[in-house]
Amino acid sequence: MYKQGFYKETDRMIDLIADNYPMLLVTNRFGINLGFGDKTIGEVCRMNGVDAFTFITLVNFLSEETSVLSEVVCSKLSIETLVMYLHNAHDYFLNFRLPHIRRKLIDAISDCPEDVAFVIRRYFDEYAAEVDKHMNYEERTVFTYVQSLLNGKKDPKYNISIFRKHHDQIEMKITELKNILIRFYPGKSSHLLNSVLFDIFTTEEDLASHTRVEDFLFIPTVLAFEKTLA
Amino acid sequence: MVAYLKIAIAETSIMLRCGLENMLKHLPGLHIQIIDIGHNDILLEALKLHKPDILIINPLMPGFANTSVGQLRDETGLLQLKCIALLAAIVPDELVKQFDDYISLYHDFDEIKQKLEALLHAPDEEEPDEDETQNLSSREKEIVICVVKGMTNREIADRLCISAHTVITHRRNIARKLQIHTASGLTIYAIVNKLVELSEISVKSEE
Repeated sequence: MYKQGFYKETDRMIDLIADNYPMLLVTNRFGINLGFGDKTIGEVCRMNGVDAFTFITLVNFLSEETSVLSEVVCSKLSIETLVMYLHNAHDYFLNFRLPHIRRKLIDAISDCPEDVAFVIRRYFDEYAAEVDKHMNYEERTVFTYVQSLLNGKKDPKYNISIFRKHHDQIEMKITELKNILIRFYPGKSSHLLNSVLFDIFTTEEDLASHTRVEDFLFIPTVLAFEKTLA
Repeated sequence: MVAYLKIAIAETSIMLRCGLENMLKHLPGLHIQIIDIGHNDILLEALKLHKPDILIINPLMPGFANTSVGQLRDETGLLQLKCIALLAAIVPDELVKQFDDYISLYHDFDEIKQKLEALLHAPDEEEPDEDETQNLSSREKEIVICVVKGMTNREIADRLCISAHTVITHRRNIARKLQIHTASGLTIYAIVNKLVELSEISVKSEE
């Protein structure tokens, strides 16, 4: 378990990371560079042009599991910052994490029978295609909509509630692959395969919390903003 | 078998909330997501938003005391919501009776786990033949083969001379035994266990 807590702008960034190392993924997605020494979270945010309130809210949201944010909090969040965060997360999953797991996985299963390796690879590729489709919809439709909303233009045919209704989890299938490998993998276990499984475990958690941010932080924030334009 | 559960804890004392949360997270075989509710003000909103399977609530929570469990289910639309009373003090029996069960401060891990499991498997649990997990019957294996070859439930029913309804029941049992819910997942299982040849399935998938 990671340490839970309410971080404040005046806490040191290094303490946040040391308490909870997956926060490195978060700082990365906000475009915050390493090398911040002993600076506080607020200082580091300002140095990197990141809205500190949004950063802190998201960090506390992620480390805490409480997921009900009041409308007052939502109205103070920066939508631009959230979109940047989500966009960078998509880029990370699609262009780094999944291809990286694929390469390692193929390597790890190279000594099991060719037909088994084939169906495992196919399973993974189908999954990656699904994630791609899911995230690309958000990039093209949702973020484009939100961008024009920020420019003061409402879309008569689209609103964030449409997205809210059909937004699904996306980690189920990779969880299933992991379980199949653990329960039924016919080859020898290896350090590499273990390492792939570790990667899948963390990716699973990362995807689940990504969905949580979209459902309980991003969507309510856009909803609140839609109301101000009404 | 790992069960996924969403549990909301409504209690004003952060110490109690965290303590219970910590215990729940350490229960083996249960994968629990916690929704933390510290005030009655956000109770309804949080329940509607997260739709938990179980609510563990202190019946004496300020603001909640006059609400009945039935009212809560109606107002949130969560008619299946299981409600457990969290007893941190002596509470009149009348108040506790309306809950599905209760947890007191001195219950240990096993007792809490038993209570959760009893609630989950409560009335309409379907044929619990848990013992023979993982081992598929020969009929189930036939069905796996058909699914992997891309046949629809109707086609499988015709092929095996059973009703489509029976096919669905078999598929549900297969999914439960193997913990595999997708056709691509079953394909891996079928190939690993040599139920089918790769040549029999890759042709179909090109269509």
